[in-house]
Amino acid sequence: MGLFNLILQGIISGVVTGCVYALVALSLVIVYKATDVVNFAGGELVMIGAYIGLLLLMWLDWPYVVIFLITPVFTYALGVLFSRFALEKINRKKTTSSTVLVSFVIATIALSDMLKGIVRVIPFTEEVRRLPPLFSGPPLFLGDLVIQPQDIVIVVVASLVMLMLWVLFGYTMVGKALRATSQNERAASLIGIPVKSVKSAIWGLSAMVASIAGLLLAPKLLMTPDMGNMVMLAFAAAIIGGFSSLPGCVVGGILLGIVQNMVGIFISPQAIAVTPFFVIMLVLLIRPQGFFDKTLAYKKV
Amino acid sequence: MSLGRQQLLIGVILVALGIVLPACVPEYFIYLLNLLMMYLILAIGLDIVMGWSGQFAFAHIAFYGIGIYGTALLHMRLGVPFILGMPLAALLAALIGYLIAVPATKLRTVYLALSTFAFAQCAAWVFRTWESLTKGPDGLRMTPTNLFGFEVVNDRQAMPVIAVILALVIAATLNLLHSKLGRDFFAVRDNENVALASGVDVKATKVWALTISAFYAGVAGGVYTLFQSYINPDNIDVTLLVLILSMVVVGGSGSLGGVSIGVVVLGVLPELLRAAPKSLLIWQEFVYGLILLLAIIYSPKGIWGLFTRRREKT
Repeated sequence: MGLFNLILQGIISGVVTGCVYALVALSLVIVYKATDVVNFAGGELVMIGAYIGLLLLMWLDWPYVVIFLITPVFTYALGVLFSRFALEKINRKKTTSSTVLVSFVIATIALSDMLKGIVRVIPFTEEVRRLPPLFSGPPLFLGDLVIQPQDIVIVVVASLVMLMLWVLFGYTMVGKALRATSQNERAASLIGIPVKSVKSAIWGLSAMVASIAGLLLAPKLLMTPDMGNMVMLAFAAAIIGGFSSLPGCVVGGILLGIVQNMVGIFISPQAIAVTPFFVIMLVLLIRPQGFFDKTLAYKKV
Repeated sequence: MSLGRQQLLIGVILVALGIVLPACVPEYFIYLLNLLMMYLILAIGLDIVMGWSGQFAFAHIAFYGIGIYGTALLHMRLGVPFILGMPLAALLAALIGYLIAVPATKLRTVYLALSTFAFAQCAAWVFRTWESLTKGPDGLRMTPTNLFGFEVVNDRQAMPVIAVILALVIAATLNLLHSKLGRDFFAVRDNENVALASGVDVKATKVWALTISAFYAGVAGGVYTLFQSYINPDNIDVTLLVLILSMVVVGGSGSLGGVSIGVVVLGVLPELLRAAPKSLLIWQEFVYGLILLLAIIYSPKGIWGLFTRRREKT
């Protein structure tokens, strides 16, 4: 295969993984916008989604479609519980705004430890596993390029989730309440929006999106309790969008997926691991507000 | 009690314990105590930047790694004795901390956290991949530290040395606490705008906080080389950072007493879990997370906060 084809193949697989990074980035950013919390447990929500999927598959042997519908229910509950029983209690004790932010972040770090800890204790985790392929079939050939049918499923599901988020935020009453809460909490509560419920719902939604990303990722990656470390890629994607723009997350995620593969081809496979950190530092150094105009971000969320 | 006497008292007690304990305590406890003392230096350093100055800087582990590799490599490659190599490595950590701090402190909370975290991960990657220097993922076996012509070969011999270093660190920290810079740290934490209006150079203060905390982490790294014989780059990672962070938060950030309590409680916990009938060690991570979550929900000032609150009430 020539270099040109290698690059094309890299771009294709970069778009596929990039879609998953974009989902995780979205889950981080919606929570940040609505509740000011940087969720360091974002990766663990991805991981827990994958493991819930694994357990459902092993115990009940349901088809994938059902698992894709049921796993998010569990993670939604998890997100709501965390928001209700941890974040709100911290918020009530707040002294100054900057210290409460620190407390929030520490609470998410605690959550990430607990989720990893729980997964390490349950059975099935001693062995490294992966979920069965989402869709098995003969690969498609485009000239010299190979496209796995599973990759198409990943892109389609990820796009569906993004579309659903877009419709939810842009065109429904719930979405308006979410947007109002993230813009001005006090004003939102004054016009009768139940701010607390909205915040919990956002956490639930974010956990849902993350767990779907986990289900999409688990057939491609090896599952370990530490697979949540991929969250740094999502952070990098979110940073490209200035940590506030939803379209920015999508573009950032896909861009990162491609950049990762290009680094693998042109620099060294070892350097792939360090790419997201490099991107984060670089973007924050050059353009901390991200590459997406604030007004555009404002319109979408 | 005046500052000087307080420092002297703590110093004398620590050094005395450091000399007496190795003679009468089992080997295993000596190791644990050495480890706790090292954690304490690391935790005090993290507390200076987070608890005192309110800056969410996550690069601590990178500086610790620089301290470890710096001290070890200066000794092994260039024959620099510990007494010189450790301060040099700590200064190198502080210098890199300064270089990071200058751009990073321009960033707001979240971005500061992410950029410093990213830096720490990059550093960890360098430790794992720069094979000609660090031996890469296989880890580096260290030669015993040489101190004034004596070789420090076991935990017993290392303990008095570590106790002296810890005593110096605590004395320096108490000095810092009562200095103008120390007060500036607290002013910046409590309200940047007010601090600025009162004539505090906020930016310089933040840079100082990060630089000093990097120096502490470098010292802790040097201490590591005293009682360990092997560097595993995989251990210089987020897990350790989260552990130190938990110690600071659970104990009580912003106070030396609180941090010490946190170090002891969380440092001893895995040993208790291991000692439990039918080892509960696999629950360690979950229990850490739970303790951290409960602490941050019910007592944001940590265990230390529980004591001081009671004292204020009565």
